[in-house]
Amino acid sequence: MSLHESELHKLIDCIVTSHHDDCLDCESCARELDCLAERVAMGAKINDLLPEVATHLCCCRDCFEEFEALVAILRAENSGQLDAIG
Amino acid sequence: MLERSFFIPMTDRSNEQWLAELTGAPDIQARALEDLRQRLQRGIFYYLSRERSDLAHLSGQELGQMAEDLAQDATLRVIDNLDSFRGDSRFTTWATKIAVRLAISDLRRSRYKDFSLDGLTAEGEVLPASTGDAFPANAAPTPENATERADVMLKIERALREALTERQYQALSAVALQDVPLEIVAERLGTNRNALYKLLHDARRKLRQSLEAQGLTTDYMLKLFEE
Repeated sequence: MSLHESELHKLIDCIVTSHHDDCLDCESCARELDCLAERVAMGAKINDLLPEVATHLCCCRDCFEEFEALVAILRAENSGQLDAIG
Repeated sequence: MLERSFFIPMTDRSNEQWLAELTGAPDIQARALEDLRQRLQRGIFYYLSRERSDLAHLSGQELGQMAEDLAQDATLRVIDNLDSFRGDSRFTTWATKIAVRLAISDLRRSRYKDFSLDGLTAEGEVLPASTGDAFPANAAPTPENATERADVMLKIERALREALTERQYQALSAVALQDVPLEIVAERLGTNRNALYKLLHDARRKLRQSLEAQGLTTDYMLKLFEE
């Protein structure tokens, strides 16, 4: 795929992922992120817990990156991997 | 908001103990601060060393130094924001959330330190040239299809120029087309991430409305360019 075509698809994707007016913003999402990440790290599904946060995470790469990082650290912590780090 | 986690804390302190000790007598506070700093440092080091392939070229010592510096800053930030801890999660999870955001922000700023919005204007060419040349040979459209695509492309370009403000255009181009993090674009625009997210939301809606007003539905465009 050429760069140009990929740009077009990105633009269309961006329009498609436009969401409803009552969607959460980044600040509201961030407030829920710690509690949500704890449960997801234990195996829960985001959509079962807070679907509105899940929707925001699908649309916001920044928040999603931070959520994924937090979950990864919590999983490592729960499995004892962090204890091995000095 | 979720109810308090069912997860049994694995920390050596309850949330209440953390808060009490971090605001307690100097010797108690100093020990709690050091425990928190070390804990955050381990989490950050794990993230940098195991989850960031873009940092794979750095040595363990370099990553360790990064983690140490970030954990120091994160600990200070946690202390500055203690009043905002609601108790919905473990205290250490909340603190780690702050550390993660700080670490990722630092990495983003480093990666995009030379990024500028200056070249992103509606006058420049952002989208593919309106010819079949924009597509790879193995996906070359038929002549009829190429004409239709070129027509749609012109309409998209017109929508970008006419429906969006310059600020919306720059933000959408950077975030949606160049994959620049919102945080970086927000800084360059002199705003914050939350405000930028709302600006992008409005831009997407206006763009969509403009395209639909020209008879271009999302399904139609997807089908046309996937053929």
